[in-house]
Amino acid sequence: MKKRYQDLETRIQSLLDEPSYADHPLREALDDLWRHTNEQLERIERISYLSDAFQMMARQRELGLVARYDRELKRLAKLVRISDGYQEMMRDMNAALKESSIRDPLTNLLNRRALMERMKELSLTAESDQPAFVVAMLDVDHFKRINDRYGHDAGDRALTRLADIMRCSVRESDDVARWGGEEFLVLLPSVSLEEGEAVIDRILAGVRGNTIEVEGEQLLLTVSVGMALHRIGESVSTTLSRADRALYLAKQAGRDRVALERRPG
Amino acid sequence: MKELNISASQSTPSIVSDSANGSLLLSGDSYPENSFELFGPVIQWVDDYLASSGQSLAVTLELQYLNTSSVKAVMDIFDLLEAAHGEGHAVSVTWYYDSRNERVGELAEEFKEDCTFPFTVVGR
Repeated sequence: MKKRYQDLETRIQSLLDEPSYADHPLREALDDLWRHTNEQLERIERISYLSDAFQMMARQRELGLVARYDRELKRLAKLVRISDGYQEMMRDMNAALKESSIRDPLTNLLNRRALMERMKELSLTAESDQPAFVVAMLDVDHFKRINDRYGHDAGDRALTRLADIMRCSVRESDDVARWGGEEFLVLLPSVSLEEGEAVIDRILAGVRGNTIEVEGEQLLLTVSVGMALHRIGESVSTTLSRADRALYLAKQAGRDRVALERRPG
Repeated sequence: MKELNISASQSTPSIVSDSANGSLLLSGDSYPENSFELFGPVIQWVDDYLASSGQSLAVTLELQYLNTSSVKAVMDIFDLLEAAHGEGHAVSVTWYYDSRNERVGELAEEFKEDCTFPFTVVGR
């Protein structure tokens, strides 16, 4: 391309320089044409240069944007990851808090509030043709003596041991709670008083059959139990006070036994 | 330089700057209603300090819970530190956490990723 242009330039230049053609009518026209051609060539070159520069600029701008976008994306991913981490931490803390709010810290049994909730639920969903639930209120016999004689730490250890025995004696569907002090409550859903009594008898046998070591001494403990069947329509607290009345009777009758509350409502 | 001395609230950390000693301390939980209002001045302080002083900057964090906008603000501060580190400033971060809550330490380690300046996470 360049070679051809150079050849042409030489040819035209020599024609224009030839003195014998000086007055030729085409000489001026050729001179004008040659100048015009060169101007056009220069213009094309300038346009190409500008166009290339613009293209380069746009390309670099695009690369810059892509890099920035990648950077922002990476940053956002990090932000989301860390934020999710904090949320997960909060959720786990919430779950732990909830769990600890329904447990008795000493025995890890359900606490009174949790069992009340459970009873209210059962009472609300009870159907008239089926037993709703039985409550058994347990009280450790002569517990005060342990506290007085061996101290409260020994008493606490005895309660923990008793809680273990109760947990092992009940069915999967039953709940055991520490009601307060040395009082426990067992909630037995969907059973009659007699069926419930069989479960509670297992607890009594378990307590009788296991010595509890306190300060190097082997103690044999017993519990007294009062049981009541929830009656459809009655309030939970009424069921509880009926069980409590039965517990009183069990204590009166000599302890280490179960009394059933079955007086007609 | 105007120093920061903001006491903690239930939802915001305490923030104390000391340009004479080149230190900044953030301590507590952070889930502010308006994170821009809280962290705007902190980011400004870091930016101004790094621009005007040839001194080192030691950032100490004792942050527990951070909501999303606080996570972003802390990342912004680290970006400023990273840029300063690139220009030869001596900057560092020490993040203390309660070792009973290992999760906070793990999250601090996540922040640390991609930071090339001295960054230590200390359980205690």
